[in-house]
Amino acid sequence: MWFFNFCKSSIGRKFFMALSGLLLLAFLAVHAFGNAAIYAGSKYFQFYADFLHNFPVLVLLASVGLGSVLVLHIVLGLSLFLEKRQRTGRYEVYARLTENTFASRTMGYTGLFILLFLIIHVTTFVFAPGSDTPISVVVMERFSSFFFSLFYLVSFIALGVHLNHGFFSMMQTFGFNHPRYDKTISVLTVAVPVAFLVIFGGIPLYFMSGAGASFMHH
Amino acid sequence: MKTIDLTLKIWRQKNNDALGGFETYLLRDISTDMSFLEMLDVLNEQLTAEGKIPVAFDHDCREGICGSCGAMVNGIAHGPVKLNNLCQLHMRAFNSGDTLVIEPFRSRAFPIRKDLMVDRSALDRIIQAGGYVSVNTGGGVDGNAIPISSETAELAMDSAACVGCGACVASCPNDAAMLFTGAKITQLGLLPQGQPERKERARAMVTQMDKEGFGFCSNERECQAQCPKGISIRSIARMNRDFFRGSLFGE
Ligand code: HEM
Ligand code: FES
Repeated sequence: MWFFNFCKSSIGRKFFMALSGLLLLAFLAVHAFGNAAIYAGSKYFQFYADFLHNFPVLVLLASVGLGSVLVLHIVLGLSLFLEKRQRTGRYEVYARLTENTFASRTMGYTGLFILLFLIIHVTTFVFAPGSDTPISVVVMERFSSFFFSLFYLVSFIALGVHLNHGFFSMMQTFGFNHPRYDKTISVLTVAVPVAFLVIFGGIPLYFMSGAGASFMHH
Repeated sequence: MKTIDLTLKIWRQKNNDALGGFETYLLRDISTDMSFLEMLDVLNEQLTAEGKIPVAFDHDCREGICGSCGAMVNGIAHGPVKLNNLCQLHMRAFNSGDTLVIEPFRSRAFPIRKDLMVDRSALDRIIQAGGYVSVNTGGGVDGNAIPISSETAELAMDSAACVGCGACVASCPNDAAMLFTGAKITQLGLLPQGQPERKERARAMVTQMDKEGFGFCSNERECQAQCPKGISIRSIARMNRDFFRGSLFGE
């Protein structure tokens, strides 16, 4: 069957890797946009959170969909990563001529770090707080811990490194590699990770630097 | 005439089932004008004179066009000089006192025949699966009957420059044959004669590539960096597009 054959093939597996990566990216973009409300103050952020919770069915559907995409991405990504580790060690001496391979070589590790982050993130902000504490208060409390904020910052750096190779890799896998797109893709390969790093990484920095002290007053 | 002394660590293996290992050889007074294969010839004469078995390696044209030769030299396919087949590598690329580690092109799909000689017929079977155009009847067509722009002809020629040496497979961290297969698909896919079988070609060749046991692609770009013919990973992107179309809309 054509679909089954496609899924089994080397390029088919890469296609689902890229597709799941793209969906995760789309989610991240929406999430970043929503979280940016933190910079406006707790009132706006609380409003955004309450607004989302007016649509419990939508939130549930989105969570289940996102979870499945993530599982697909992780299972495929790790199987590719483990296979790569087996195959790379076949020489006594092996040299790389490609420049800047740090991001591509560490995809599995940065990916696993993001997974660790996601587990901690979801348990902290989705499952742990009782329904009686407003989310804006929980955010304020958690980020007042230096190490918690630092962990967030490191995670976003890992995400940035993951996306630095991930974005280029995704475009190439989808078949976008043509002189016409070279410039756009090389700009986005840097701009997309940096944009996420600035918006997400800014949140722990905002609280660490003391600028977040006014968070509850707005 | 400038000469250099070298230490060679060469992989020796009787056949695919035998256990292999490195042997170390000292070579003196090697002319820097020699090619890498001539240097190995000198070593083999020395070994023969000592009553030992010479090092087996593949070669044919010795002018960089047949794709027979190839080995990893200090971890790089065809050695340290870019855009070069092993037979066109010259000893002036090295300094006296250098140690060269020489290994065969390794891949799950390339069984070792002997020493540095590997069986690359897996690549031939990928071609047989679809790397052709079928012209079943009729007389020879006039050379200029089908107009092709010179840009297209040049691009197709860039991919046709692939000699099938296997350096892309050997240098890929994932042991993938994507650059080779992509080049063969691109070469035909750019030309009008390649259109009728285009979708089916990608599907058949990729299926064969997977069957041979080659790895997947994680876009490391190492194949492109080590290819002696400078084939670009754009050809892999084109193969992906053709493969999607072939899988979705093929016969
Ligand atoms: C929000 C989180 C994540 C995003 C936005 C994301 C995004 C991406 C993207 C866009 C790609 C490129 C796909 C391609 O090569 O075509 C990718 C590849 C990859 N991801 Fe993620 N990812 C995330 C989380 C994870 C996690 C949790 C893992 C767990 C191990 C992971 C492991 C991998 C691996 C190993 C690859 C590379 C596969 C290869 O070698 O080509 N990722 N990711
Ligand atoms: S011997 Fe023909 S390419 Fe090297």
